Amino acid sequence: MVVGSDWTGNGGLVTTSSDRFWQETEAALAEFPVDVRINRDDFYSQPDWDVFQMRYTSADGFRLCAWLSVPKGRGPFPAIVRMPDYGSVHDIVYTPLREQAVVMNPTYRGQRNSDQVFQAQYPGLLTEGIAAPESYVMRRVFADILRGIDALSVQAEAQLQNIALIGSGLGGALALAGAARRRSVHAVAANTPIALGNPISLMPGLGYPLAELNDYLRLYPTRREAVVQNTEELDVLKIAEKITVPVLLSVGINDTNSCPLAFGEELAAKIPDCDLRVYHGAAEGGGHEHAQIQTSWLANKLGIG
Amino acid sequence: MATQQDLEDFTTQVTPPADFDDFWSGTLEQLSQISLKPVITAEPLRSNDDAHVFDVTYLSLGGLEVSAWYSVPTQGDGPFPAILNLPGYKSEPPVRRDWAKKGVAVLSVSVRGKLRSSAEFNPGYPGLLTSGLESKENYGYRGVISDCVRGVDFLRSRPEIDPERIYACGSSQGGGLTLITSALRPEIKAGVAGYPFLCCFPEAMTMFRSYPYDELACYARAYPEEGERMLETLRYFDAVNFAPKITCPMVVGIALDDEVCPPETSYAAYRALTGHKELWLFPNSGHGNAHDYPAQEREWLSVQIGLETAVS
Repeated sequence: MVVGSDWTGNGGLVTTSSDRFWQETEAALAEFPVDVRINRDDFYSQPDWDVFQMRYTSADGFRLCAWLSVPKGRGPFPAIVRMPDYGSVHDIVYTPLREQAVVMNPTYRGQRNSDQVFQAQYPGLLTEGIAAPESYVMRRVFADILRGIDALSVQAEAQLQNIALIGSGLGGALALAGAARRRSVHAVAANTPIALGNPISLMPGLGYPLAELNDYLRLYPTRREAVVQNTEELDVLKIAEKITVPVLLSVGINDTNSCPLAFGEELAAKIPDCDLRVYHGAAEGGGHEHAQIQTSWLANKLGIG
Repeated sequence: MATQQDLEDFTTQVTPPADFDDFWSGTLEQLSQISLKPVITAEPLRSNDDAHVFDVTYLSLGGLEVSAWYSVPTQGDGPFPAILNLPGYKSEPPVRRDWAKKGVAVLSVSVRGKLRSSAEFNPGYPGLLTSGLESKENYGYRGVISDCVRGVDFLRSRPEIDPERIYACGSSQGGGLTLITSALRPEIKAGVAGYPFLCCFPEAMTMFRSYPYDELACYARAYPEEGERMLETLRYFDAVNFAPKITCPMVVGIALDDEVCPPETSYAAYRALTGHKELWLFPNSGHGNAHDYPAQEREWLSVQIGLETAVS
């Protein structure tokens, strides 16, 4: 089964480089069937929910892996997709809501269990192949996440109700992108979405992971224009207005690693239905207080709890 | 949220096995027979005005090659004090350039199973916590702990490092490994163990249903006949059993709403410390996210190292 975009933004019209990027991304995905294979993991399945390992195909034929948990009992169930952050491991499912909701933790290429062809390095992934658009891996990371949502939509283990996307850092940006591109999404909770592609990401003095960009420019100063051009379409600000679902967004006033405050505030202003929470004293947004707020917010949006 | 009274009321069934000391002295002896064979490669991409960064490898238990990021101050000739930065369970070890400006080197160890140390041992995450549980000799953490111990050997082998000023820190698994490594290597002069994992396995695996501890519950459910043997193996790797052997000043940081490493279990490790110790309790904080923790860690280590001001 081939699953493509169900959301073309401007009625399919390509008017900006961002539109062109996303159209090319959808076209790259459409070249390969999703081909979902799903197996119950007997070891990690629990008395109250089953755990599955899903595998499916993304752009360029990459096979990707996701953890999926399905509550025991009769569905349909709401679903939570926890987008992967910047790191080699994406957790096996954990959320206090997993007894009432299907939970999917999809990976992108290069993460563990999705690294047969390419193994991402940390630090390293943020600039892997950045000199040219066709080699810049991060552009395909966004494709992989759209394909994860597609795979969830066509899997046969669980009947689904509303879908919410959640994520932190890179995962926060991926969650927002997923909501901008897939109408099947009903709500997003994004913490400190990474400012990759935004000019603020090239400021000196940032911490990792954004500091990888400055590391690269320090070693290759003549490639600045290429870095700007090949990342700018990944700036979630460019698609923020297309997110029509409710968004809970958390940022921290001292964040210099992922989502500088100015970026977070601009993002919140562009998202039509955004509940922005700014945390003082936090190096990064969220933290424990926000985790509790987010759980309640998700339960409310998904009609559980 | 746990209260301090909850922490004090908690008791653990964890006790050291009779041959605990023999097992670990034997492991250290085995390690000492393996040549360190350090390889140090400059990483210009990660180096900056403050820090020369190197990709380091050295040999550890079983002759396995372990990687690390090594950050050395660009200013001054040394010998520099050094921090051994120990990694969390699933995260990759960070490049720590932040201390270089204050004249402190950092070795950030990529223990076996991590991306850059996974060629010969790669149980995955989840997976590491149950790898080799059938015996203390084969348990994966015997190698993981050895890799941290060898980090001390590496630092002491370097002419630019002051061997009398080696410190340790880490959070979660890194917190547990800070306790354990400090017990095994008295050359460590002080340590900060945040939200320590690897404490009170029998209780921790039943208190929450969150990973990584839940891996043990899955193992016990899948192999009920192995449950007793699993717990016997884990006695050799429980930080609570190492804590009384730590002679240097040690901090244990605990988030009272920690949903990954039960606060009571971390407190049991703190309680078992017999040397100079400090307890940092963070109410309304969860695992790894106490807002004040990073600054407190910097301040405390700065004082121990003898710096005039903390690293910002």
